[in-house]
Amino acid sequence: MLTARRSGPDDSAFARQAAPVAALLRLHSLPRDGRDTLFLLLVIGWIILPQVGNLPLWCSALAGALLVWRGWLAVSSRPLPGHWWVLGLLTVALIATYLSYRTLLGRDAGVTLIVTLLALKTLELRARRDIFVVFFLGFFTMLTNFFFSQSLATAAAMLLALLGLLTALVNAHMPVGKPPLSHAARTAAWMTLLGAPVMAALFVLFPRIGPLWGIPSDAMSGRSGLSATMQVGNLASLVLDESIAMRVKFEGRAPPQNELYFRGPVLSTFDGREWRPLQSRLGSRSLLALLGGTAQLQVMGEAVRYEVTLEPNNRPWILVLDAAATPPVVPGFETVMTSELLWVANRPVTDLLRYRAESHTSFRHGPSSIAALPPEYLELPAGFNPRTLALAAQMRSDPNLAGRGPQALVQAALDRLRTGNYHYTLDPGVFGRDSADEFWFDRREGFCEHIASAFVVLMRAMGIPARLVTGYQGGELNGVDGFWIVRQSDAHAWTEVWLAGRGWVRVDPTSAVAPGRTGSFQRLQAPRGVIASAFGSVSPNLAAGLRSAWEALNNSWNQWVLNYTQSKQLDMLKNLGFTTPSWEDLSYVLLALVVALALTGAAWTLWERRQHDPWLRLLMRVRKRLAHAGIELPPTTPPRQIATVVTQRFGEPGRAMADWLLKLESQRYARHPDVSLASLQREFKQLAWPTP
Amino acid sequence: MNAAALNPFSFAQGRFRQWWQARLPLSDTITLTQRNVYILPTRPGFMLGATLLVLLIGSINYQLNLGYLLTFLLAGCGVVAMHVCHGTLRGLTMNLTTPDAQFAGTSTTLTVVLTNERASPRYGIGLAVLDATHEDRWVWTDVPALGQSTVQVAFKPERRGVHRVPPLTAETRFPLGTFRVWTVWRPSAQVLVYPKPEAFPPPLPPGEPRAGGVVTARAESTGEFDGVRTYRRGDPLKLVVWKKVAKADELVSRDSQQAQRYELWLDFAHAGHADTEHKLSRLAAWVVQAERLGLDYGLRLPGQQVPTGSGEAHKRRCLEALATC
Repeated sequence: MLTARRSGPDDSAFARQAAPVAALLRLHSLPRDGRDTLFLLLVIGWIILPQVGNLPLWCSALAGALLVWRGWLAVSSRPLPGHWWVLGLLTVALIATYLSYRTLLGRDAGVTLIVTLLALKTLELRARRDIFVVFFLGFFTMLTNFFFSQSLATAAAMLLALLGLLTALVNAHMPVGKPPLSHAARTAAWMTLLGAPVMAALFVLFPRIGPLWGIPSDAMSGRSGLSATMQVGNLASLVLDESIAMRVKFEGRAPPQNELYFRGPVLSTFDGREWRPLQSRLGSRSLLALLGGTAQLQVMGEAVRYEVTLEPNNRPWILVLDAAATPPVVPGFETVMTSELLWVANRPVTDLLRYRAESHTSFRHGPSSIAALPPEYLELPAGFNPRTLALAAQMRSDPNLAGRGPQALVQAALDRLRTGNYHYTLDPGVFGRDSADEFWFDRREGFCEHIASAFVVLMRAMGIPARLVTGYQGGELNGVDGFWIVRQSDAHAWTEVWLAGRGWVRVDPTSAVAPGRTGSFQRLQAPRGVIASAFGSVSPNLAAGLRSAWEALNNSWNQWVLNYTQSKQLDMLKNLGFTTPSWEDLSYVLLALVVALALTGAAWTLWERRQHDPWLRLLMRVRKRLAHAGIELPPTTPPRQIATVVTQRFGEPGRAMADWLLKLESQRYARHPDVSLASLQREFKQLAWPTP
Repeated sequence: MNAAALNPFSFAQGRFRQWWQARLPLSDTITLTQRNVYILPTRPGFMLGATLLVLLIGSINYQLNLGYLLTFLLAGCGVVAMHVCHGTLRGLTMNLTTPDAQFAGTSTTLTVVLTNERASPRYGIGLAVLDATHEDRWVWTDVPALGQSTVQVAFKPERRGVHRVPPLTAETRFPLGTFRVWTVWRPSAQVLVYPKPEAFPPPLPPGEPRAGGVVTARAESTGEFDGVRTYRRGDPLKLVVWKKVAKADELVSRDSQQAQRYELWLDFAHAGHADTEHKLSRLAAWVVQAERLGLDYGLRLPGQQVPTGSGEAHKRRCLEALATC
């Protein structure tokens, strides 16, 4: 009890606190319709919330306004707006979507439309059918969240959203009175819990097959792999594709893993969003200038000889280890090397291709004077990344670095990556217009594309010629057959800077951020979030413990959920004893599981239908024995009555049986039975039951 | 021949239903088991299936492992919901309280007691008369854990006579509305249905001279027998018809003289020219009216006769005779 009231500014604070409490109380006293609608609106808001950053501004604003409007209508019990309102708003949304994307199809326009439809449909909650439409649209919207992020946090948020939607759905099927939402929530939670094993079984066993039909190119852009161009920052998360890109068999010793850079397309032209190869802008320039690369490559040391089996990728690139001075021996193809050291075939690789190549891991290439270098290697788009440009100017004027040449500047940039709290993550979110600025100053995390792109921008801003190289890095040695397996998930982006006197020098900024990314199999560094930082200041030990726990959790999430691919499924089948597993085998296992479950269910039903109260079963056995002796008793006869019948029929020899029957009765009905059912069952076997 | 009989499909459907219902055991108490509870997906159930398919295709095409998780969790919930839905009715015990006699054509209720022996409540159970067609025929109830709930099911007997209570049906769509679980129950109880009283019956017939009494012209021939006259000073209080007083706002006495000399016979033969049912329905209205007036009356039907008398038991006896003749 509050006995004395304080005065002064606390009063107003109290009033401010009281307002939401009053609103909550009012919420509690709302009629059932209003309460249910408000709850559903809250859940829908929660589903849409993670999308806000990815939707056009008008869409988020419209959805928010619609939900708030609908909530106000529900609280004040006003009638819903007419059909014309909804139709009008829908038309406006369609036009706005078209204006935003220039199409109504495709992933992003589709997401915008679904969110708008979901918000609009809440204005039409009239019949039961409308409610179902809202629920099913809600499930779709949850799925669209995963286009942008598949992180653990997103998963948790959507699990909560699913529980919310199910609660609302269960609540809608409790027609009597005004049951508290907690009842529906409990049912929904139970259903989810019991549904989880079904989910786990299907997730593990459902065959992962490729896309069913061609879908817009934006669909596959979230996967690792090589492409001719590279957009920076439009991928919120990278799905590691475990399929194999190439297999390499070295003759003799393989070079160390951190030197296994398989060179793919080199991207040198940047327009602020997208990196493209140099030649795409050269247009009419002579092809000879491009193809003059061979002359500028000098190889040193011993050659590495190897054989590559390249999976078809529909690209003309012949991937070799950096750098191959002699043409790879590709049967059926003619190959030529560009000035950027990429070997290009005369047609795309559409079938499994095997070729032999010879490379030198130590080499020099590039012109010796900057005048011979195309000026494109220094160009930056105007008006992008102002803060990175400022950083470059600041580093160039730094007295510590001044006069020590470009090499010191490169080193300074790498040091910044190492020590500036930068992180490697597969799930950095979507970057905005100035992707390099965002990487260097705001987010400080990303995967190799972000890091390499931001690094090249900084280099060029400091006047150092730089370019971006894509390809594969690393791979894993299969101990059985000695092949190195390079997977699509080993796709990598690194940079090359031109230094006077040394030519093009490879710099891998990703290894500065995450040393584990190159050279070992570890791909992910744990992000350090707000909470982790807060704990760090309280208790360093606890913080370290929590951080390693979080890292482990995140890693298992990546390994077991996001990275669960067909190859892992087939590995699992191998462990189950299939010698040559295929995805048909997965279907068989799934089918077998379903059949086994159905049979178990049927058996359980049969067992349940039978009498399984042990006491009643014992009584039934007594009746059966007596029936053998010709005494038919109705199934409702109690033990005492049977005892009477037995003594009447058998006289003194039946005494033991009658005593036993009375004990059976007291076992069931006495307040404190002094005999256990087990001992009665034993005695039952020893009794001399009458024989016919 | 009605339209249903012309359509071979609905004809076959109707015959199948009749045959199916005739197989059901008759009992006033029914415990629902796997054998008498039926389940089918509803339209929203098919919608959920379609949604799952689209979610799955989306997950496959965009290679979203989290999408797979969502799809399969939702599918798992759907499977669990099917069992929960079936479990809502399975194991429930329904007991019909023997219904009272009713007039035909009036809306009345059947009382059903639902008993739940489970440790968790059963939500959203609806009961209705099987063949009722009107919209709001369903009565919804929750049955508490280890408890009972009582439901009044609307019921409108159409024909007079002794009938079996119509088949009842119980249904639930809890928890997700994706499945409809129902049962059909044929109670064995019978209900006595009186003829429907005529809405605006003509006045009661004139009395007949008491057998053995002096036959004279009626002294106060008002043309109708109501057995009452206005109060005269000196009438004993026990002759005052208090029911009528309350309505007419003047004192009315029982015309003992008339009542002594005449007796009221409600005769099938004199109940208008209409067909039997109309006559019975008029007689029923007269019985109700005569009882309301507190008169002695008898009932004469072809083949049976109820001697004069009055009171609730007498009225019931007359109505029963009318219902079953």
